[in-house]
Amino acid sequence: MSSDAIFLYSTLVALLSLVALLAAVGLLTYRIIKGPEAGTLLGNKAIWLAWLVAFVCMVGSLIYSEVIHFEPCRLCWFQRIAMYPMAVILLVGAIRREFQVKYYALPLALIGLGISIYHYMIQRIPNLESGACDPDNPCSAIYVDIFGFISIPFMAGMGFIVIAVLLGFYVNKNSIEQKARVE
Amino acid sequence: MSTKTASNKKQESNKSLIYWIVGGVVGLGLIVWLAIAIAGEGSVDEAIAYGEVTVEGNSLPFFESGSADPAVGQTAPTVTGEDWNGNQFTIGPSDSAKIVVMLAHWCPHCQRELPLIQDWVDSGGLPEGVELYGTTVLTNRVRDGDTWPPQDWLVENGWTSPTIMDDQAGSIVEAYGMTGTPTYVVLGPDNENLGRLSGEIGLEGLNALAGIAAGSLGS
Repeated sequence: MSSDAIFLYSTLVALLSLVALLAAVGLLTYRIIKGPEAGTLLGNKAIWLAWLVAFVCMVGSLIYSEVIHFEPCRLCWFQRIAMYPMAVILLVGAIRREFQVKYYALPLALIGLGISIYHYMIQRIPNLESGACDPDNPCSAIYVDIFGFISIPFMAGMGFIVIAVLLGFYVNKNSIEQKARVE
Repeated sequence: MSTKTASNKKQESNKSLIYWIVGGVVGLGLIVWLAIAIAGEGSVDEAIAYGEVTVEGNSLPFFESGSADPAVGQTAPTVTGEDWNGNQFTIGPSDSAKIVVMLAHWCPHCQRELPLIQDWVDSGGLPEGVELYGTTVLTNRVRDGDTWPPQDWLVENGWTSPTIMDDQAGSIVEAYGMTGTPTYVVLGPDNENLGRLSGEIGLEGLNALAGIAAGSLGS
């Protein structure tokens, strides 16, 4: 296994995470400009896209641990606990066209995002965790550092953000129209 | 008419679904292909990052960072090993007091501390009669390929102190009872453990350790 191949793979997923960030910012801007109507922009695609992001994040992290053999640290596991169920929950919700699914997935995405932010901060300011590195598997170790700022928790955080934003766009068109009629 | 529109809509929806599926499969295929390519590549010679180490005497007990060192006054084992150029060094009883610093190349605390230690050495912080030894421990290419092998990382930071590379079994880690990186061990001329510290200690800490080491020379 060469460092070049790992770097290539990490660069690919880092670019994906940047695309996710741009998409999330774009969607949020659209939501602010258009108001509640913006919710209908993606229709059912919103939930499928959210599932796709969760699925890619899951596969991506499994490649890191099972193929590249990066050992997940404690905080990595917490983020996995938030991300992996979403790959299943969102798929079931998308197939069943169940609008309520976002109320199950959104808390997971937000909890995962919180952990990602904390993990990223520990990597950049290691003294937040402790003054020394745990020899076993420290959370402060930066296994991947693309463009000088994209590490694994950064990518996970982008995944959580874009899932949360997409869930915000998964709304029942009928309920919006009904609401508009009442108003 | 409405039936036709509904049928068109359904067709469009099916088409869109097919695009999604094809896109997803292609994307996933690319990732899996890359993963297989990574897994299938030839192995790297890991041995260049390790040395051969011999330890004579009883190891110091493991100690937790932040607590008092329970092994102060205990004689540390004599450690012999070599650097990446094959130069052999022994950390054992001698005329000098010694500060041994254990560094892991992937550890962000060590990455911050290393240039600071070197600046301190360059500015004459090390008292006469006190030697500083570096040891590269817990070497792990997967944890940080950018700083591997650790000798490159040390050289890039201008490291000048004699250094012993730990072996894959972690003999140095065990010999000095290390539980975190960086760890400092202060040894008197007779190889008595004068104290161990774990974590970033900064210039103030380095001066304090140097003071303890220098103090043992007069006794």
